[in-house]
Amino acid sequence: MSVKKVWTIFDRSRLYECYECSRCSGSCPATLTHHTLGPRKILLKCLQQGQESVIEDPAIWYCTTCMVCQDRCPQEINIPELLTGLRNIGAQKGNVPEKVKFAVEKIAKTGRSLLTFRVERERERYGLPPLQEIDTEEVSRILTETGFFKDLKIDR
Amino acid sequence: MSLKYAFFPGCVIPAKYPHFERATRAVAEGLGIELVDLPFSCCPPTSNMKLVHYDSWLALAVRNLCIAEEQGLNILTTCTGCVSTLKEANHIMQEKPNRRRKVNRILKKVGKQYEGTIEIKHLLDALYDDVGLDAIAEKCVYNLNMKIACHYGCHLFRPSYILYPEFLSPAHSYVPTSMEEIIEVLGGEPVDFMRRFLCCGYPLGANVDEDGSYEILREKLHYINASSAELISVACASCFEQFELGQVMIKKKHKETYGFPTLYISQLMGLAMGLEPKELGLKEHIHKVKKLLPRLEERRGEKRASI
Repeated sequence: MSVKKVWTIFDRSRLYECYECSRCSGSCPATLTHHTLGPRKILLKCLQQGQESVIEDPAIWYCTTCMVCQDRCPQEINIPELLTGLRNIGAQKGNVPEKVKFAVEKIAKTGRSLLTFRVERERERYGLPPLQEIDTEEVSRILTETGFFKDLKIDR
Repeated sequence: MSLKYAFFPGCVIPAKYPHFERATRAVAEGLGIELVDLPFSCCPPTSNMKLVHYDSWLALAVRNLCIAEEQGLNILTTCTGCVSTLKEANHIMQEKPNRRRKVNRILKKVGKQYEGTIEIKHLLDALYDDVGLDAIAEKCVYNLNMKIACHYGCHLFRPSYILYPEFLSPAHSYVPTSMEEIIEVLGGEPVDFMRRFLCCGYPLGANVDEDGSYEILREKLHYINASSAELISVACASCFEQFELGQVMIKKKHKETYGFPTLYISQLMGLAMGLEPKELGLKEHIHKVKKLLPRLEERRGEKRASI
């Protein structure tokens, strides 16, 4: 699967509906850290300079996925969807935090997002049944079909 | 209404916080809810997989929906991340025929097909909608008698046009009240505080910057502290972790002590329903709720139910 454009995930025409009220950036919790661009700036950069201007910027990962920007946008622009698209293509170009890459690799290989050794002992203590067996072959097969391993250059 | 569900505990609670699972199973048993265990895989999260490979996120989420559909069971989940993923995947498959075709084509190769026959509910909604406040009240033997700050988190109800489409306000927004109403029924007092719906910051810390996430948490703690709350109630394991560890880290860095005990909703329900603190894993918590336990007062004149 070739590198897809951001606009298959987010409808580009919606960018034009932003009238820069800053309600999104004003509500964004990540702005409390002073390291983020904020949703408004990211949207405007896409509009004025194209997705290439932000795709390789690590600052687009400064987001808690809280969705308040979408909730409060008076034009109901789906800003999280824009950020999802940017991060998807950014990841394919190598702009992805270590921890995130590690987490998705774990999911691809074990079917879970956490390592589970020593978990059974704790679970027994609380009288819980053992963890369910996951069909990792099936998960792997699905991820091959979606192009996960190829797009992200991860070994199966 | 059938109280039988496919149980979707997610990845975090069964592995990191099994006492939440224990509390949930005990509360479910007490309320007549049947939880069926199925071989679900990771939901997968909107805070990592969706951001890295959208198609994979959708396909794996729909795979989980198919597993429940094959058994004809609605899904009940204890994790807000999971409910957000599963509900959104369900929504996309219903509303976007192109994506539906694409995903079903992939799933066919592993012998699965999405039909769209089941619903997904978070524990809070299963309790509120299906079990009902009256049935919960009947099973309570204690009043909590504590002032509680309810932190709903983000993924439970945002984006609301997908997660609670029938409950939107004229401005297309949604304000949840289920946790507070349940806590009232348990005899607790939900308190209001500013920036109630601010994110706890956990995904930022998990992905990129822990210190940054604790700055966000500090903002929340500041306002919870300004209210009369004595305890924080959460419906999400990630929010729990953020409050538990975050208060320790903030004390180290800023020398500010908050010390709010944080309890998962099933633990609070278990307390009110007469379960032992030991069974609810209360001693595992860093910020102890022990000092508040003497507050539990027996309900007089009401039928005592045993679990």
